[in-house]
Amino acid sequence: MDGAQGITLAAVGSHFFVGLSRAMILFIVTSGLSFVLGILRVPNIAHGSLYMIGAFCAYTFNKLFGGGTMGFLAALLLAPLVVALVSLIAERALFCRLYEREHLMLLLFTFALMLILDDLVKMIWGADYRSVMAPEFLRGSVNLFGSSFPRYNLFLLVVGPLVAVALWLFTNKTKMGKIARAAAVDREMVGAVGINVSWVFAFAFVLGCYLAGLGGALVAPTISITLGMDHDIVIEAFLIVTIGGLGNMAGAMVGSLIFGITQSFGVLFWPQFAIVFPYLAVVIILIIRPTGLLKSVW
Amino acid sequence: MLAVQDVHKSFGDFKAVNGATLQVEKGRIVAVIGPNGAGKTTLFNLICGQLSPDKGRIIFDGQDITALPPHKVCRRGVARSFQIANIFPRLTVFKNVQVSVLSQHQKSGVLFKPADQLLIDETEKILDRVGLLDKAQVIAGSLSHGDLRILEIAIALGGSPRLLVLDEPTAGMSPDETKRTMGLVKDLSQKEGLTILFCEHDMDIVFNVAHSIMVMHHGRTLIQSSPEEVRKNKEVQEAYLGAEDA
Amino acid sequence: MKKIEFKITLILIALLSLIPLVLPRFYIYITATIFVTALLAMSLNLVVGHGGLYQFHHGVFYGVGAYVTALLILKAGMPFWAAFILAPIASTVTGFLIGWFCVRLSKLYYGMLQISLGSLIWAIAFRWYSLTGGDDGLHGVTIPDLISSTRNAYYFTFIVLLASLWILYAILRSPFGTTLQALRDNPERCEAIGINVRRHQLAAVVIATFFAGVAGALFVVIEQSVFPDLLFWVLSLEVFIMCLLGGWFTFAGPILGAAIMVSLRTFVGTYTEYWTLVLGIILILLIFFLPEGVMGFFLERLGKPRSRQNGNDKAGASVGSR
Repeated sequence: MDGAQGITLAAVGSHFFVGLSRAMILFIVTSGLSFVLGILRVPNIAHGSLYMIGAFCAYTFNKLFGGGTMGFLAALLLAPLVVALVSLIAERALFCRLYEREHLMLLLFTFALMLILDDLVKMIWGADYRSVMAPEFLRGSVNLFGSSFPRYNLFLLVVGPLVAVALWLFTNKTKMGKIARAAAVDREMVGAVGINVSWVFAFAFVLGCYLAGLGGALVAPTISITLGMDHDIVIEAFLIVTIGGLGNMAGAMVGSLIFGITQSFGVLFWPQFAIVFPYLAVVIILIIRPTGLLKSVW
Repeated sequence: MLAVQDVHKSFGDFKAVNGATLQVEKGRIVAVIGPNGAGKTTLFNLICGQLSPDKGRIIFDGQDITALPPHKVCRRGVARSFQIANIFPRLTVFKNVQVSVLSQHQKSGVLFKPADQLLIDETEKILDRVGLLDKAQVIAGSLSHGDLRILEIAIALGGSPRLLVLDEPTAGMSPDETKRTMGLVKDLSQKEGLTILFCEHDMDIVFNVAHSIMVMHHGRTLIQSSPEEVRKNKEVQEAYLGAEDA
Repeated sequence: MKKIEFKITLILIALLSLIPLVLPRFYIYITATIFVTALLAMSLNLVVGHGGLYQFHHGVFYGVGAYVTALLILKAGMPFWAAFILAPIASTVTGFLIGWFCVRLSKLYYGMLQISLGSLIWAIAFRWYSLTGGDDGLHGVTIPDLISSTRNAYYFTFIVLLASLWILYAILRSPFGTTLQALRDNPERCEAIGINVRRHQLAAVVIATFFAGVAGALFVVIEQSVFPDLLFWVLSLEVFIMCLLGGWFTFAGPILGAAIMVSLRTFVGTYTEYWTLVLGIILILLIFFLPEGVMGFFLERLGKPRSRQNGNDKAGASVGSR
């Protein structure tokens, strides 16, 4: 229990905020996974790879646009779009031909996609560590409740809810969103009304992957970007989706908060086993509520 | 033998079964009829344990079986068939029935004895009984619709039930297949003394075969009586006419 | 077993027993790795291909078997043989505990819960440096002289594999196995004919995890080390794919799947560092062209009767996905 001695209120506060901002990244990535899961009913194993591609693309675009605020904004805009494009190609070229097939085959396909994308990343960017600098106005820390808190994390705390609101508006207020939600509940009905379900699926898949890319682009300035960063995030996202309720967006938010905050408090209380805490939280939740905290869409 | 006492079941706001009462005497064939959506299948699911009622009791052989899980209801001697062909598509016809027979003889957990030496005669007897013996080695998933429905019944018979519950045994069958199936049902009742509860759309079949008919409407029991009584009943006529308007 | 299948099996066993006498050490080692992986895949397929469960994190039980073997020898100073017997038991207990929670759920939820429970075990092994060596793992596990040479380790794994396969084969042909296959096809119907579905599934999981534990202990025999990747979900999915690749509705398919995967990794890996890319492409080709797996494909080509014997037919393909 090293580290347990120095716990002050300020430390608790700052870990809480770090956990909260981590939860925002998790939410953005997870909401994409959850969206695909809710509508296509496929756990997209390649989701983490797309997140990783988002981060690497952010690095490349940042460099291309000369870094700074310009580079940062370009990365934030373009990196997720590249990811969306990659997923669109994969979906239209191959994935869409599998919708009528056995469910496990869809899952397998996403695994194959993960294997391919991971090696492509290795080919393009190599195995070195990369890093992205946050723009000037997001560097340094601010003082919050007596503890210093990185500006960039504050930025994440703004972006996360914005994405959540945008997603909510999209699924509840736009026609496309409503169709997608209806397709999640009853495919045949949507098909019967004359809507091309295949394109609804394509759209949902691409949007989900876009969110993975956005998560990757947003996380880039806070971590070192490297191969293998996809493996942790994809399992974390799966667990969050499971405890939140498959396909449930609010559930993705709740799950991300639980995961992010237990993780950062784990670092505070017992650093060595920090990664165990969120998993433990997940296990406890699933044992009490096997189908997740909130209602699954299917 | 079976008594369903004022059973209720709702799904959200929808009251699927709203006060159903049913008596099944030993050795009888009892039919449940009613317009589409009257709650017949839900009632069967409640009896066999696939669903548990919100209210009311189900008594089988003097024992309360309300809300028992399906495998326990089956152990008590109630076997059912399903409306959609609910079989084991990758197994052979023989194995489809054998699995049921094994379960009935409490042999499902036997680990170190080849299954193809166990309860062969019992299984073949049932296949012979329903007329599927020549198709014993066919993969069940490739059977014709009529044969699938017969296999449904054969699987149910594998449990050596005392009460056989059949959910629309002739749904989607050709007239010939219907005749064959209902002949089988009658036979099982007459020759083997099996008690049978079934639901059915075709009124000719019902009035031809059943000893007693229960009429459901909007989840409620309107009447249970002999075919003649039911035919004469005003309420029943109205329910059916009303349903046809809708 | 049909006569011809019996003959083929005997010839294969004879050929495989000759490998250490003719091939160089490296190939002996690779074949032994295939044996271990094949046993793992076969144990998984009992619950996946024959039981219809989404056992997404089977690798955990393999890893537990390997870790317990290594820990008992290195930390508790136990003799190898005691560890070799206790390790599969530890896997079985883990399997029972995880399975007990998982069988309450079905399909994807089953898989997800299993991944989270398994990841918890991985996280602990990954971080508990003082006990497990963390991400370095444990090395230098002493193996008795009798089976420590490459050749003897080969024969040992081969014999254990054959014995395990024989038991798995018997189990699949037993009433238990037949009922398990019925369960895969239609759990709802099984309930209605009086089968306690969850208990049956749990029993299958326990058996499968036992053999995964055996495979884990064998892994220590040929590698003399363990590392946390054995418990990581990527390995579990690879094993899952071996089953599908080889043919998950056939008995021996997963063995073939394991052989293909291990060979690919080894031999493609020597030509290019991008072997997972090759694997991904092969997998996609497979999904599109051989959905019943390699073995399933050939059995179908060889004629219907045999595929029927294995309860394997396309007719059920669409229904199996419910």
